[in-house]
Amino acid sequence: MALLEVENVAKAFGSLKAVDGVSFKVEAGEIFGIAGPNGSGKSTLFNTITGIPFGPDSGKVRFDGNEIQGLAGHAIARRGLARTFQRETCFDQLTVFENAEIGATYANEARSGAKARDAAAEALAFVGLAAPSWGRRAGELSVFERKILMLATAIASDPRMLLLDEPASSLTKPEIELSVELIRRIAARGITILLIEHVLTFLMSLSQHLLVLNQGRVLALGNPREVIAEPRVVEAYLGTRRVAA
Amino acid sequence: MSVIETSAPTVSAPPRAPGRTPWMTELAGALVGLLVLALLPLVVGDAYGRHVLIMVFIYAVVASNWDLSLGYGGVFNFGHLALFGIGVYAYSLLTKLAMIDPWVALVASGVIAVVAAVVVTIPILRLKGIYIILVTFGFAQLVMQVILSQSDYTGGTQGIVRIPGLYWFDHNMVRDAKFAYFYIALAMLALSTLFLRVFVRSRTGKSVVALRDNEEYAVSRGVSLVRQRMITLAASAFFTGIAGAFYAAYQRNASVEVFGMSLATIVLSMVLLGGTGTIYGAIIASFVLTVFAESMADFGAWRPMITAVLIIVVMLVYPGGIVGMLKALWGLATRRRA
Repeated sequence: MALLEVENVAKAFGSLKAVDGVSFKVEAGEIFGIAGPNGSGKSTLFNTITGIPFGPDSGKVRFDGNEIQGLAGHAIARRGLARTFQRETCFDQLTVFENAEIGATYANEARSGAKARDAAAEALAFVGLAAPSWGRRAGELSVFERKILMLATAIASDPRMLLLDEPASSLTKPEIELSVELIRRIAARGITILLIEHVLTFLMSLSQHLLVLNQGRVLALGNPREVIAEPRVVEAYLGTRRVAA
Repeated sequence: MSVIETSAPTVSAPPRAPGRTPWMTELAGALVGLLVLALLPLVVGDAYGRHVLIMVFIYAVVASNWDLSLGYGGVFNFGHLALFGIGVYAYSLLTKLAMIDPWVALVASGVIAVVAAVVVTIPILRLKGIYIILVTFGFAQLVMQVILSQSDYTGGTQGIVRIPGLYWFDHNMVRDAKFAYFYIALAMLALSTLFLRVFVRSRTGKSVVALRDNEEYAVSRGVSLVRQRMITLAASAFFTGIAGAFYAAYQRNASVEVFGMSLATIVLSMVLLGGTGTIYGAIIASFVLTVFAESMADFGAWRPMITAVLIIVVMLVYPGGIVGMLKALWGLATRRRA
């Protein structure tokens, strides 16, 4: 049974169909990539799956066999479905450690006090945020450090699945390489990953399956190399065969 | 300098709260502050001076609790003074009409304010910004209109007079030059501040700041917006209601002026001037603004204008308020010493 099943999900804003009948399945333990041009509905799809800030207008989202499309965002997070945001996001006025502690505590209500602190420390160390930085205000961190911290707060919540929204955006090439390595290590922990990314090399190097969206609809789905070679994908998204080669 | 470690990660034993002032240090500082305030009657010899300090303590409780919802929670609760007013009238009605013991009525007023805060939270649970201001301001006006309309019990525009005061065994509270009320007010401020600081340092307090900093991100980490917002407003209401009750017991009268914009503006000035999201800032600003206003009594109509200019100047130079100013000065001093 798939860990995540998205079935005919739709979301509209007035007359604009941002997500229009999208269906796919993500198996436990895999890294599943989602690509698509700007405005294709990738982030809206993430929002409808996680209920943050809104759920779908119609369709079903099943996580571990249970329908979650009607649940509040925090309730979905507590079921083990964590997400990151396209823009590097953190709780600016809290310290680095407190940021991770929030993830360790609230998304996993079985943990509090020393257990939550241990989980926060382990997650921060795992992503490579050095202990001397734990007392710094998160708002003082660089873009890359904030992105890494966002991953740490997600890992601290001990999720079964992690939805990453363009983790490579605004990063330098060395930082992207570090991110690829980190995502591989996260997957090696047994966390299933659903990944949106514009940087195709990033997606290709990580994903076992690739879904391409265009105008809110599924354009192609399957093996990443085969998908990006499809002429309609090239036409709609890549624009040139040079990248696919 | 990057803080990312690219080598194999190691986990050291996590400290309790890295980057935060240790509890014992904060407690020691707060006790010193409390001791200084407790000794103030030795310096302030006259009853009027102690009256001013009692008013400072009342304002400080209301302002610091407002700082919890506004500064920490980021909830623009413009009905906060209505919670104070509810405390005033709850105490007045409980003691005068229901003949309940004043101390029991004092605590009950805090509980009633909490219930009112929960009621007002329901319509604003999913609102943001200006809409919260509108609803909470409307709530304050509604409470005032209810009190005015029930004049058989509340005295309407005349208010309530000869409200039973507090007592302390056989001590004469009326003819002790306000010593007893001074120390009761100080105890109320101390308990309120302890409660607020424990709250903001707790995991619930951190989640409240997380929601303020980034609501969607906090929700994505399992924080419930509805639950935490309700807890924040309820927590900010208890001592505000008690302060209202204490005010009624101390002044021995109640009027709808406590719902007016004048008092709300004064207390909001204290929250902003002190520096939001600090608790201590609102307390310091209550002291500074009240004492400053008293010292300018001879300036008549110029007094509020001078006070307003002072607030504007401080806020322009130090947007973080008095606490921001003190931090900047402390940073300057430590850099020079280094």
